[in-house]
Amino acid sequence: MANTLRQISAITRINIKSIPQRFWMSLSTIVAIALVVGVLLGFLAMGNGFKKTLSSSGTKDVAILLRDGSDSEINSVVMREQTQLIEEAPGVARVNGKALVSAELYVVVDGKRRTNGIKANMPLRGLDSTGFALRPGVTFSKGRLFRPGTNEVIVGSGLVREFSGFDLGQTIRFGTSTWTIVGVFDAGGSVYESEIWGDVSVVQSQFKRLNSYQSIRAKLASPDQLAALKAYVDKDQRLKLETRSEADYFAAQAKQSSDLISNLGWPLAIIMTFGAVAGALNTMYSSVSVRTAEIGTLRAIGFGGFPTFVGTLIEAVILAAIGAVLGSVVIWLFVNGLSTSSLGGSFTQVVFTFSLTPRIITTAILLALLIGFIGGFFPALRAARQPIAAMVNE
Amino acid sequence: MNDFTIIWKNLFRKKLRTTLMLIAIFVAFFLYGMLASVGQAFDSPGSSDDKNRMVTLNKINFTQFLPISYYDRVARVKGVTQASHSNWFGAFFQDNKNVIVSFAVDPPTYLAIYKEFDMPDAERKAFLGDRTGLAVGRAVADKYGWKVGQTVPISSNIFSQKNGSHSWDFKIDAIFDNSKVKGRDGLMIFHYDYYNETVSFGRDNIGLIVFSTETPAINDAVAKNIDAMFANSPYETSTDTAEAFSKSFIAQLGNIKLIISLVVGAAFVTILLIVGNTMVMAIRERTREIGVFKTLGFSGQRIFTQIVAEALLLSLLGGLLGLSCAVPALLLINKISAGAISGLTVQPIVFVKGLGWMVFLGLVTAALPAWSAMRLNIVTALGRK
Repeated sequence: MANTLRQISAITRINIKSIPQRFWMSLSTIVAIALVVGVLLGFLAMGNGFKKTLSSSGTKDVAILLRDGSDSEINSVVMREQTQLIEEAPGVARVNGKALVSAELYVVVDGKRRTNGIKANMPLRGLDSTGFALRPGVTFSKGRLFRPGTNEVIVGSGLVREFSGFDLGQTIRFGTSTWTIVGVFDAGGSVYESEIWGDVSVVQSQFKRLNSYQSIRAKLASPDQLAALKAYVDKDQRLKLETRSEADYFAAQAKQSSDLISNLGWPLAIIMTFGAVAGALNTMYSSVSVRTAEIGTLRAIGFGGFPTFVGTLIEAVILAAIGAVLGSVVIWLFVNGLSTSSLGGSFTQVVFTFSLTPRIITTAILLALLIGFIGGFFPALRAARQPIAAMVNE
Repeated sequence: MNDFTIIWKNLFRKKLRTTLMLIAIFVAFFLYGMLASVGQAFDSPGSSDDKNRMVTLNKINFTQFLPISYYDRVARVKGVTQASHSNWFGAFFQDNKNVIVSFAVDPPTYLAIYKEFDMPDAERKAFLGDRTGLAVGRAVADKYGWKVGQTVPISSNIFSQKNGSHSWDFKIDAIFDNSKVKGRDGLMIFHYDYYNETVSFGRDNIGLIVFSTETPAINDAVAKNIDAMFANSPYETSTDTAEAFSKSFIAQLGNIKLIISLVVGAAFVTILLIVGNTMVMAIRERTREIGVFKTLGFSGQRIFTQIVAEALLLSLLGGLLGLSCAVPALLLINKISAGAISGLTVQPIVFVKGLGWMVFLGLVTAALPAWSAMRLNIVTALGRK
């Protein structure tokens, strides 16, 4: 046993030390594997970043009520009378007798992407002070809150980062109305950082929606009061609303989009894996082939077939590991943390950053090692099985 | 024994090695064929739109509505030959995951503009005359196995009927193809009148006005006139070509072109390295042989050509196979997604560019070994082991 280990370590050392002799061939395998790892990591980091943004947006103790059948705020309509019914509902938190219920307007307006100037959908949310009470994480990085009753708006920091025309002090036109940006806010990296907020009654009148809203948010007395609220809503024929916790609402949207991104990334990575496996096999077969006489000599002086096999396998896995590290480091340095945006569930832009996690990196590295293993296994088998006499005569 | 036999024998002398290279090349061009086609579909979503087809939208954003009265006013603008309107319905079938692109339209005028929606005359007549009729694109009909004559319940995630239901019953009167761009038929249309009479809110609103101009040359002037006509009205408008609108719509998803270029680039760099290195090695192994050929009177140039031809043959074999397999793969994706990415086929331009890449790959990987083989001195060649 100890002898076998010594043989393995000797052969592995010889193999690794001779990699520079096959420098270009080995490098091509390393780069091929690094590229597979990079593509997979890029997609997974994108999906994860999107998911992180959406799932950090909702809390369990806020309920969101949308028109029955609509999955997102943009498709929903609720009326003032329905809002009043919710204010009287059980399970809703109250401060000094006033229910913490926020009826909000959600309309889509145009913004322009900073990178290419192309129009994109931005959400303009109309809300009042209760709406702020329901989102305690909101802080101003610049400027101040809009004054109620005026055409002042505040914008999320993500939106300002990706889209032009929303800097502090600028005015924007939506149709015939003109608005002034008086503040820029952070919201803990949530989807709200991709929104424009204004006073609900002003947005209602400027967008000619005097009696209607898109959604109702209600602060729950405690998260387990959701069931009581839901039962109340389901019983009342006038409501026809769907009750969910805000956390569930955003989690469903997060799953949808990040699943889509991962569903694109994995097939691409797997197809590329086939190419990389072919490359690794090619490299390792030629590595074995140029060392035929050397392997034969080792076998002739008493080295076993198994150590020869393991030595070759380890060489392949080491090349794969280098490739995996290379790919991960490049993505970590140049892609992780990049800000971008895409369409979210409410058909508006969601700004998010590429975000790697240890788990994602581990997955990609395991894939790389698998490529190395397969790429090394068959050539190693050949190295171990060739008749000694034939090899020495090469 | 002609030169081609030599090239062919050389290429397949180490079958395993050549097969592995072919697999790598196959994979890269398979990916290229699929992704470039997706990129093409995203890049030219309006490729089936006529150049004189234009849309008028609410200036705030295309999700904001316009009053139907604006349609009549646009139709009367000088230079507009035919106008129609459509309204996004947010349709799904049974499960809200089965989203179907669908619009409430004015069928006679709509089909007069969208001439590419091709259906048998009898079906067209039936659809135009049936208030609750539905015309379904081939991709959608195939996905759900729908036949003409069937009645289907279609739900909306936006609208509801006055009676409180979210679902409308439609009779399938026609199934159409897109005669201009194959596969760009993942949608359905129905009568605005039926929708407008039954809908519980948003009556007399439309999503957009679509129209044709006399000639593309007057597009800009017509757009300016229309937008000026509605300036300072309650609903200001923004008018542009249908092609430009589709493009900006798709751009909302993000920089798909960049992502595709990066992935395809990664795949191409991989094969360039693998094939390039292997070619160098393969030719080096043949040094003595090349010396013998030269001794027999083969010119350096002839050997150079043979090696270049061998590399070209390799990359064309793997590349054409990969590109060809992208065709059924895309068909499969199209079928599963019911034409979600409309017009998704391997376009001729993708094939032509692909061929260009194969030739490039062949030439680049052959360059170094072919050059050194040409320059090879017979004495050195025969002396080297």
